[in-house]
Amino acid sequence: MLLLRQTVKYQYLSIVLLGLMASGRLTSQNASDSELTAGHVPMISGGAGYIYNVNGGVPTLEPQINPVLVFPFGQHVLLESRTDFTGFFQRENQTSGPYKGKVFKTVEYAQLDWLANTHVMAVAGKYLLPFGLYNERLEPIWIRNLQDSPLTATIGTRTSGAGDGLMLRGVVTQTANLTTQYSAYFSARSGIKQLESARTAGGDLSVFFPRPRFEIGASWQRFLQGHRVNNSATYVSWQPAAAKVDIKAEYDYSYYGHGYWLESAYRLDYPSLPKLFRKVQAVGRIQELFPLNGGGNGLPPIRTERVDFGVNYYLRDDLRLLSSYGRSLSSAQNANVWNLGFTYRFMIPLWFGGKR
Amino acid sequence: MKLRVVHACLLLVPLSVFIGFAQKPGGTAGKPQQRATSSSRAPSTDEGGLVFKANCSRCHAAPMSFTPRTTGTVIMHMRVRATLSQQDEQALLTFIAP
Repeated sequence: MLLLRQTVKYQYLSIVLLGLMASGRLTSQNASDSELTAGHVPMISGGAGYIYNVNGGVPTLEPQINPVLVFPFGQHVLLESRTDFTGFFQRENQTSGPYKGKVFKTVEYAQLDWLANTHVMAVAGKYLLPFGLYNERLEPIWIRNLQDSPLTATIGTRTSGAGDGLMLRGVVTQTANLTTQYSAYFSARSGIKQLESARTAGGDLSVFFPRPRFEIGASWQRFLQGHRVNNSATYVSWQPAAAKVDIKAEYDYSYYGHGYWLESAYRLDYPSLPKLFRKVQAVGRIQELFPLNGGGNGLPPIRTERVDFGVNYYLRDDLRLLSSYGRSLSSAQNANVWNLGFTYRFMIPLWFGGKR
Repeated sequence: MKLRVVHACLLLVPLSVFIGFAQKPGGTAGKPQQRATSSSRAPSTDEGGLVFKANCSRCHAAPMSFTPRTTGTVIMHMRVRATLSQQDEQALLTFIAP
């Protein structure tokens, strides 16, 4: 009976996923050609995908949908929320037997934004913690170049990756050559279902140079419950205009461990190449984690290295096939990690017209 | 063996930069389509184009098309997510929906 229920859930998720893809496509086709002015109508955006993961010989099926509701009230107030539906299905005996599992539902953020001016934007509610590059910016399934999160992703994002409270963010200074951005937040402790968060305070400061497309930044967080610790991150991001390369690197430090990751993605989008190759993206990532004080809190207890190589193929700018191979190296065990699947980015208007 | 893998990966970054610079820029990256082409361009379209290319690519591949009625909503959303200035918002609106 349980197996039947899981199978029905799994089928339901697949149908919803295909329906979203179809509706996004139909909506695009129905858009009026005469509407060229920016509209401010509510929408559901987000990503969906299906990943077949094999980690150390154990296969896992992971269908996912992450719809983002974006609801503007005028041009200065925005309500936005992202919910994650991810299924984890593994074989009964890990490598044999029927697939079993469940679908996890998580409200990742639900926030009200007030876009006061360039220097101040106030965010209230449940928001993603702005720590490093990954949690707030690269986590969505359709954005990440490699599907597995970096080993250091849990540093600065305890306990749920989100905070409940208030965040201020904005641009400190902006010139033609550089932009300085900040965010500062305080989060209250919460154990309410779907609103789980820890008592933390922190912020992020980054400088972006638009001409070379280079960004350097740092994040800091004070964990204010239980064992009070500091977490910090330093990161760089570079997308040189003359090359279709995306390079990102981050170093994270906490009481429980420290480590780095370095990722490079190269899109072969050049007119001189055959069309088949122009849709290919090659990705590589190297990372290393050194546990401190026994590790824990999402970090492995022993030193771990990992290398990943991936090839993504963009069928369209919103639909891509992905594949990757990774090798995890530690004194406990070495393991191969494979990922195969696809991701899709959708955007569905929830109202007609709404031209500005 | 481990060290060899690490060295191979570290070589990946300069190699990809070198290959990238060795190729001539061009291709399909440019203005996202609004399902129709506009014959007139606002004066700050170039600025908007730079803001679009520079800021979108910081996190993801720039989308090649928008549904017009959600363009303003998308840019508001990205203003919060990417901490863009009001000036950037206006430049993007001029570029994408002149």
